[in-house]
Amino acid sequence: MSVSELLREMRPPAIRLVSAATFTIEQLTNAYNQTRVDYLVPMPMNAARLAEYIHHYHVDLDASLVALEGETMRGLAMLGVRAGRGWITRLGVIPTTRRRGVGRALVEALLDLGQRRGLAAAQLEVIQNNEPAYNLFARAGFETTHDLLVLRRPPAAAVHPPQGNAKWLEREVALGLLAERGDVVTWITETDSLVRVDHMQALAVALPDGSSGWLVFHEQKFRGLSLMLSRFVLHTQHGEPANVARNLLAHLYTRYRDLDTQIENVAVDDPHVPALREFGFIESFRRLEMRRPLP
Amino acid sequence: MPKVLIVEDNLDNYELARRVLSARGFAVQHAPDADSALQRAVDDPPDLILLDLGLPDADGQTLATWMRRIPALAHTPIIACTAWPEETARQMVEAYGCDGYIRKPINVARFADQVAGYLREGQR
Repeated sequence: MSVSELLREMRPPAIRLVSAATFTIEQLTNAYNQTRVDYLVPMPMNAARLAEYIHHYHVDLDASLVALEGETMRGLAMLGVRAGRGWITRLGVIPTTRRRGVGRALVEALLDLGQRRGLAAAQLEVIQNNEPAYNLFARAGFETTHDLLVLRRPPAAAVHPPQGNAKWLEREVALGLLAERGDVVTWITETDSLVRVDHMQALAVALPDGSSGWLVFHEQKFRGLSLMLSRFVLHTQHGEPANVARNLLAHLYTRYRDLDTQIENVAVDDPHVPALREFGFIESFRRLEMRRPLP
Repeated sequence: MPKVLIVEDNLDNYELARRVLSARGFAVQHAPDADSALQRAVDDPPDLILLDLGLPDADGQTLATWMRRIPALAHTPIIACTAWPEETARQMVEAYGCDGYIRKPINVARFADQVAGYLREGQR
């Protein structure tokens, strides 16, 4: 065997990118979990959760890609498509395949797909301090637009008694309120995402000093039981936002003292954040939202 | 022989922990997700639970909350296993009623001693 033949033999097989639509949800779930085994915050999923994720966030599997080496899945990147914009999500490369340009190839291919579909812009979120991912996206032309918090609150009663009048609102009214919002809206907190989520509801308060506001939230169920609260959208109509939020949370946790809470993608500078911290929310981690136009 | 339930979705991580603890004489049980962990812990309550905080169906914090509401598990030591930064891990463990945490990746030389230590504390 000649030297050139030997070198060719030693070279790893080429990576090819294939539409994610050709795989089952179970295969995609397995690939996704494998890409994140060494992450600080791995956030593994089962097939049911990935299917729900695809539905909630308009992930287009025809426009999403799997990186294959031979027949082995080595990487994955999904693209949500909505209103002329694309959202890159679930991007990952299996640890043993990293540093071979697979992540870059996936991002470039998704951007190319997006352009060919006539999308005007792309966006994504990356966990803060994930330097390799951040650098990959920055080199691909993405710029940071928002610092975001992911918060948890263990089950606990309200930290002070609620004030004012509270109204509990059902799903349709709750979703209607979202048209008023002025908070930082990321892909997963956009109204187009929340309308696809079951068990959304809202709470509105009117305080004696004329302040008012509302909280749209999700009561997540598991095996038919209430599991946790999530997907908060806080909005102040009149008054000081931290005070309005404080009373919304006081009413909420008077009713739901036994439920855990997780909320994602709250802007660091959201004026309601001081009330969330006062009510015992713990910072799990931070994300950066990044965006770029597609020429 | 003390029974340890390892709740861990990553089979490589589980296998490593199982080998270390089995060699030390622990009886090791396994659950790869929150649903099966809850079932397993109720059917055959362990002496200690090692809980990965990132699970595919519900996360470890939520699972710890459920377990604490089950009378048979209310006082079982729950030890979180996480790669989260020290301060975040500490806050989560305190807030969600866990009895301590072990950093990932585990230190093979110390892991069995750490588990044995938490078991002793739990028996006091």
